[in-house]
Amino acid sequence: MSKKKILLVDDEPALTRMLRLNLEQTGRYEVREENRGADALRAAREFRPDLIFLDVMMPDMGGDEIAEQLKQDPELSKIKYAFLTAIVTKRETGAGAAQISGEIFIAKPVKRDELLAAVQELLGE
Amino acid sequence: MSEAPGTPITHPAHAPPSSPGERVPPCILLVDDIPANLRVLYESLNGRDYRLLVANGGAQALDIARRAHPDLMLLDIMMPDMDGFEVCGRLKADCETADIAVIFLSALDDATDKIHGLELGAVDYVTKPFHPDEVAARVDAHCKILRLERELAQRNRQLELVRDRILNSMVEGVVGLDAEGRVSFVNPAAERILGLDAQRILTRELGDWEPARLRETAARVLVEQREASMDELELPRGDGSSIPVELRAAPVSDPAYPAGVVLVLRDLSERRRVEATLNRTNDELTRSHRELRVAQMQLVQAAKLESVGRLAAGVAHEVKNPLAIVQLGLDYLEQVTAFDEISREVLQDMQHALSRADTVVRGLLDFSRERGLDLKPCAINDAIAQSLQLVRHELTQRNIDVLTNLAGDIPERPFDTDKLQQVFLNLFMNAMHAMERDGTLVIRSDCASVAADQIGPHAADAGFLPGDRLIRIAIEDTGPGIEPKDLGRLFDPYFTTKRQGEGTGLGLSVTRNIVTLHAGSIDLANLPQGGARALLLFQPQAASADNPAGAASPLFRNTARRQA
Repeated sequence: MSKKKILLVDDEPALTRMLRLNLEQTGRYEVREENRGADALRAAREFRPDLIFLDVMMPDMGGDEIAEQLKQDPELSKIKYAFLTAIVTKRETGAGAAQISGEIFIAKPVKRDELLAAVQELLGE
Repeated sequence: MSEAPGTPITHPAHAPPSSPGERVPPCILLVDDIPANLRVLYESLNGRDYRLLVANGGAQALDIARRAHPDLMLLDIMMPDMDGFEVCGRLKADCETADIAVIFLSALDDATDKIHGLELGAVDYVTKPFHPDEVAARVDAHCKILRLERELAQRNRQLELVRDRILNSMVEGVVGLDAEGRVSFVNPAAERILGLDAQRILTRELGDWEPARLRETAARVLVEQREASMDELELPRGDGSSIPVELRAAPVSDPAYPAGVVLVLRDLSERRRVEATLNRTNDELTRSHRELRVAQMQLVQAAKLESVGRLAAGVAHEVKNPLAIVQLGLDYLEQVTAFDEISREVLQDMQHALSRADTVVRGLLDFSRERGLDLKPCAINDAIAQSLQLVRHELTQRNIDVLTNLAGDIPERPFDTDKLQQVFLNLFMNAMHAMERDGTLVIRSDCASVAADQIGPHAADAGFLPGDRLIRIAIEDTGPGIEPKDLGRLFDPYFTTKRQGEGTGLGLSVTRNIVTLHAGSIDLANLPQGGARALLLFQPQAASADNPAGAASPLFRNTARRQA
C-alpha cells in the first residue's frame, strides 16, 4: 500500500520543516511543504494529498480561504483538512485534534505524539 | 343753646401723642333754669381750656346732649320742665349719651338725694350755693379722669389690636388655658393645626386633649409653673387625621393674673415633607453617584484590559510558532538520535521549559479571550468541589490540609461554570503557592448579609452595600499573607509576586474579569491571625434578562470579535 500524502501549509518554513521531519520519520507518509497560499493551491492540485495541514493566519491567504477554494473542486473532494493554529488553545482542543464547527483544529504548539495521533485519526488509520 | 365765647385752646400737654385728634378741649354742658346761676357757672369755667355749652332746661339739655355729645354735664336738679334726676336717667338709658359724665348741682343738701343722684350714674355732686373755684376744681378733676379713661381705653384697644394681629399672623398655633385647664383663647393657626374652629376648641377642658402626653405636660406646667416642651407630638385633628407638632407649654407667669398655661403648637408636617424630599433626593444622588462610579470604573477597567488584552493576544500568537518549532524539533531529535544520559536530561529540561512557556502563553490568551459568558443555573458549591478536585493531588503532595464549610442553602443562579471553575482554580493555586508546603486551605460559602468590613474596594465598585444579602465565598490560606504595598496592585495585569515561571501575573486579572462579568466582586485581605483571604461576593439572582451577566462590558466583546 502506497504512502499517504500530506501537504503542510504554513508561512513559517521552519515549522513545516519540523512537521515534515516528524511525519517522514515514521516512514508512513509522503510529505510536501508550502509556505505561501497561492503555492499551496497549486501544490494541492499537483500533489493530490490525502490530508492538508493549514495554518489559519498567513500573510497572503488564510488557511480557511485555501480550504474553501479547494473544496469547490470536485476532483479534490476526498482531501481531509486540519487547521494547525495558534488561535485555539489546548484548553479548547484538548491534546490532539478537536472539531469546532465542522472543522478540525490542532492547537500550536503540538507535540509529536499528539501530531501523529491526530494524523492517524484523520486518515482513518 | 349758645356757643361759648372765646377761642378754644388746644390742649398741649396731656394729649396722647399717638392720637392728635384727641386734642379737642373737653366740652361741658351747663344746665340750669335760672340764668343767673348759668352765668355764675359760666364765669367759673370760662377762660379755662373747655368748650362750654349751656341749656336752660331739662328738655333742651337732652336735645343738646344728643346732638353735641358733651363730655361732662353740670346738671341742676330742680327744674320746672324736667328735673335733673330724670334728665340723668334718660341720658344713661340712651346708649348714645350714656357715657356723658354728670355732676349734679342742687340746693338740696340731703344725703338721700346725693345717693339717688349717684345711683343714677352721676359721678359727683355739688351743693348750692357753690364756690366757683370748687366747681372749677371738680370739673377739672373729672375732665382729667375722663381724659385718662379715654386714653386708657384707646391704649387697650391698640394693645388688643396689636395682640390680635400678632396672634392672627403667627404661624404657630397658640392656645391659652386658664388655671382650671379650660381653653381661654385660641388663634387662627391653632384652629388650622387642630382642624377645629375656635368655638369647638374653646369648649375644651384639660382632660379633652389628646394625646395623654400633651395633657400630662399641660397639667404639670399648670402645677409647677415651669416651661416644658416636646419635640415630636402626633396631634389628632378634627377630621380624624393627625399632625406632627412641636409643643411648648409656658406658664402664664404674671402674678397679677390667675395662673394659666399657653400652649404653642408648631406644625412640623411641612418640615417633615421637606426632610423626606431631601432624604429622597439625597438617596437618589448617592445612588446615581455610586452607579456613575461603578460605570466609570468598568469603563476604565475595560479600556485598560482591552489594550492589555490585544497586546497579550499578539504576543501569544507570535510566540506560539517558535514554540511549536522548538517542540517538534526536540521531539524529532529524541526520535532520531541516541543520546547519552546527560543529553537526555538536557532534553528533559528543555521539554519542561517548553511546557512552562506554553503555560505562560496560554495564560496570556486566556486573558484576552472571548469575554462573553455561557450562563447556566449552577450550584456554586459544585463548582468549588470540582475545582478542588483538580488541585487535590498537588495539595496532598504539598501536605496542605483542606477545610471546607459549604452552606447547603445557597440558591442556584446563572454562572458560566467553566469560567467560575477557572476562578476557583486560580485562587486555590494562589493559596497553594503562598503556603508552598504544610498549611491549611479553608473554603467557606454561604448566602448571608455582608458586614461593612467585608465590603472591599471591588465590592464597593460593584455597588454592594453593608447588609446586602449576597452569596459569599471565602478562600483562606495560612501562608505569609500579602505585603501591604502589593495589596492595591494584585489585580493589575502582569503584576506577580510569584517566582519566575510560576505565574504570568494574569491569574488574578483574569479572575477579577470573570467575577466582574458575573456582576460580582473579589477582594483580597490579610487575616488577623496571618494568611490571606479572597472574598467573593455575588448577587443571589443574576441581573436582568437583557444583561444577564450584569456588568458585561461591550468593549470586551469587541475585543473578542477582533481576535476570533
